[in-house]
Amino acid sequence: MTDFLQLTFAGVSVGAVYALIAIGFVAIFTVSQVINLAQGEFAAMAGLFAISATASGLPLVPAVILAVVSVAVVAVVMERVVIAPVRRMTTLTSIVLTLGVSTALKAALLLIYGPDAEGLTPFSEGLIDIGGVTIRAHELWILAVAAVVCAAVYWFYERTLTGKSLRACAEQPVAARLVGISLGRASLLSFLIAGVTGAIAGVLASPVTFTSWESGLTLGLKGFVAATLGGLVSMRGAIIGGVVLGVLESLTAGYIDTGLRDAVAFLLLIVVLVVRPAGIFGAQVEARV
Amino acid sequence: MESSGGRLPAAGAPPRRITGWRSRRGDLIGLLVLIAFLALMPFVVSGFWVNVAVYALIYSVAAIGLTLLMGLAGQVSLGHAGFFAIGAYTQAVLVTKYGTNSLVASVVAVAVTMAAAVLVGLPLLRLRGHYFALATLGFGIIVSVVATESDFLGATSGIFGIEKPTFNARTYDSATEYLLLLGPVVVIGLLLARNVVQSRIGRALGAVNDSEVAAESLGVNAYRLRLQVLVLSAAYAAVAGTAFAHWLAVVNPNAANFPLSIKFLLISVLGGLGTVWGAVVGALAVEGLDEGLGRLIPKVVPGATGEVELIGFGIALTAVVIFLPGGIHQAWSALVSRLRRPGHPPAESNGGQAAPVADAPSTGEPLLSRSDRPERGTVLLETSGLTQRFGGVVAVDDVTFSVAAGEILALIGPNGAGKTTLFNMVSGVLTPTSGTVTVSGRRIEGRKPHVFAQARATRTFQNLQIFASMTVLGNVMVGRHLRSRAGLMRSALVVPALGEEQAIEADARRLVEVVGLGEDADRFAADLPFGRQRLVEVARALATEPDLLLLDEPMAGLSGPERRELARLLAQLRDSGIGIVLVEHDVDAVLALADRVAVLDDGELIALGTPREIRHDPAVIAAYLGVEEDDELAVELSSTESAGEA
Repeated sequence: MTDFLQLTFAGVSVGAVYALIAIGFVAIFTVSQVINLAQGEFAAMAGLFAISATASGLPLVPAVILAVVSVAVVAVVMERVVIAPVRRMTTLTSIVLTLGVSTALKAALLLIYGPDAEGLTPFSEGLIDIGGVTIRAHELWILAVAAVVCAAVYWFYERTLTGKSLRACAEQPVAARLVGISLGRASLLSFLIAGVTGAIAGVLASPVTFTSWESGLTLGLKGFVAATLGGLVSMRGAIIGGVVLGVLESLTAGYIDTGLRDAVAFLLLIVVLVVRPAGIFGAQVEARV
Repeated sequence: MESSGGRLPAAGAPPRRITGWRSRRGDLIGLLVLIAFLALMPFVVSGFWVNVAVYALIYSVAAIGLTLLMGLAGQVSLGHAGFFAIGAYTQAVLVTKYGTNSLVASVVAVAVTMAAAVLVGLPLLRLRGHYFALATLGFGIIVSVVATESDFLGATSGIFGIEKPTFNARTYDSATEYLLLLGPVVVIGLLLARNVVQSRIGRALGAVNDSEVAAESLGVNAYRLRLQVLVLSAAYAAVAGTAFAHWLAVVNPNAANFPLSIKFLLISVLGGLGTVWGAVVGALAVEGLDEGLGRLIPKVVPGATGEVELIGFGIALTAVVIFLPGGIHQAWSALVSRLRRPGHPPAESNGGQAAPVADAPSTGEPLLSRSDRPERGTVLLETSGLTQRFGGVVAVDDVTFSVAAGEILALIGPNGAGKTTLFNMVSGVLTPTSGTVTVSGRRIEGRKPHVFAQARATRTFQNLQIFASMTVLGNVMVGRHLRSRAGLMRSALVVPALGEEQAIEADARRLVEVVGLGEDADRFAADLPFGRQRLVEVARALATEPDLLLLDEPMAGLSGPERRELARLLAQLRDSGIGIVLVEHDVDAVLALADRVAVLDDGELIALGTPREIRHDPAVIAAYLGVEEDDELAVELSSTESAGEA
């Protein structure tokens, strides 16, 4: 039982990271129907930026803020340079474009930071023991920060006019434009959100999972799977999806085989897509013909 | 299925159809250039570059398959290295552990990979667009996880000691010899792929990319064709994998790696998805650039390593998509057409200058008659209690009617009455909430449109579903899909299918003349005015030789004379024994033409009878008059009354 709780808790904290990345996928997809394959690189970049900033003597908090801001800038530049100029965005184009960005970013990280994986200093050191379950203090930070970010995102989309206008773009692009919402601005904003949430995810994950130039691939894929569990259009579904995925992975690794950890996500993805393409945790969308 | 919405992958697919080089001469020249290039290369350049060429050829075989999958079936695979690895591992296991002859082993390896592709494709191909791409990415990762975890496959270090292939006591162990071995494989692979693209199967897949629902209504089983192309494309990847295993002498989990999948993708996109040649050109370009940069960069930027190439890949992918979406192929065709100068139209008209109307058979003469057509009066279509609910809205409520061979049933009703929804349920586009649809004695409700078409029934669409990447003739040729049989194998080997292709074209041309589009036959269908695009749909539907024809507002957008011409054509079709259901707003035309009229209002069938009965039906008059005093239809109903009875 203790094992189970231990594994579940570890899963929830990893899942919180997936959830943050999934939010980025949903933010961008709902506005422009683009799956941003560079989403994972946002996280890897933020982790490496923060590590090198602390290594050069900056205190942890400013280093983290600097990393998040830099990644946000990269995301915005990516939208302006690569996404905005394309007039006919097809599935193939969007995949190849964002894949290109992801590849270039990965290689740049490898070039600058080398091939070794490193971990950011944890926000708090130490272990906490609750009824036999050992928890790293940093994992509590992950949960707390992720919860705050998720709440903020939820508030933004539900309560603010700007957030509502983004949802409008997602649901009725033409009508949104008619009432004066700029799709270009909305797309830019969605990349900004994706950049910030992705970066926060990367910084949070780094002390636990370590970060290297290629961490973005798995993180991005897991985030995508989480987003798919919510049908790619629901923030709430993406967040729940992330946590569920994290827990399932952790339990698989603990009870069956560590090597199968990465396969879980994709088996889950395939099963979900085939059985229920609208997602498990998303609101059921009415089919329109 | 929600397949008629605008969010099909087809709607997102690029409008250019993979066609290969149009002329046979172009293909021939291309082949000669390729053969000369391969044969001369070892004598001209250093061994280093021959080595690069070997890799380029290996990857080009995999990329040909990927180009087929992406260009033809419109599906992006991000896990093609997975198939490549299955082929490579199977070969390695057979050769090293069981001492199998390498040729036999490669046949088995390809077969195993194809079987794997069937297993992967069966569930995944129900997904579209992004989902399929990401799911294949997952597949690639699963393959590499399995390879890494399996001791039988040598875990992380893989399988080594694969010897170079030996045929006729000759070992192909130098780069030059391997090039000689691979050259013919690439050439044959190219030819087969090119034949598939230009075949009946290629045409049907092009149609699916343009409009899946229309292609299916003409009898194309889109899912099955996609699966076939996936399996074929996996076979190409497997061939590349076996060649790779022998050349490298070792296979490790890297063979299933994501970067390799990206490389395949880059090769296909850079070369251009418009032609299978793109794969070969792209592979040479990518490998050349890769190695070239690898040598050049350390000289320019001291200390820089291979990472810079990867950056180059990323930027190249992005730049190609933004600036040259058709890849090298696009640049090449632009160059060629500029050199050839204008005055040489891409598709030549076949001289059909005669006035279309004059060509049409005279009134009264049965058209498209067939000996095995059901006898007049045989019930072709029967619906019972057909109901469709969208959430709380009942779009069609408990509709029961039937259509017999040799009659025209008109379906009229105000906008939003549920006419098109009814068509969608009958033709398999929508699954009814309840009720049954029987076509020629076969229950088909909830089945896909191609099942409807197999029952010798087809339809046209109110919101046009033209195959925009094809000519008028090409559109109609798709309609011959069910009346021709060449499958993937026969198409690839082209010779046996050649005669059939000519027959298809002749039949299609005749039908184009029949509907009066003779002079437009070789124009792109999307360039025609809307009204004439509707005629293309009619010709396309007729090409399936239907017993039952559902026409959704075929006269909208046609001029007066064109309408009369079409009405005459429909009368002729009825006389030949075809059953026709006609949705039309031109009430005059409907009442003059139809044998029976069904009136739908607010989803309910409020009247069904002869035109004469309908005119006097109080419910119908109330339905139309009740809505608005001066409703157009109501006025027409009363005004045409005397004329119609005369």
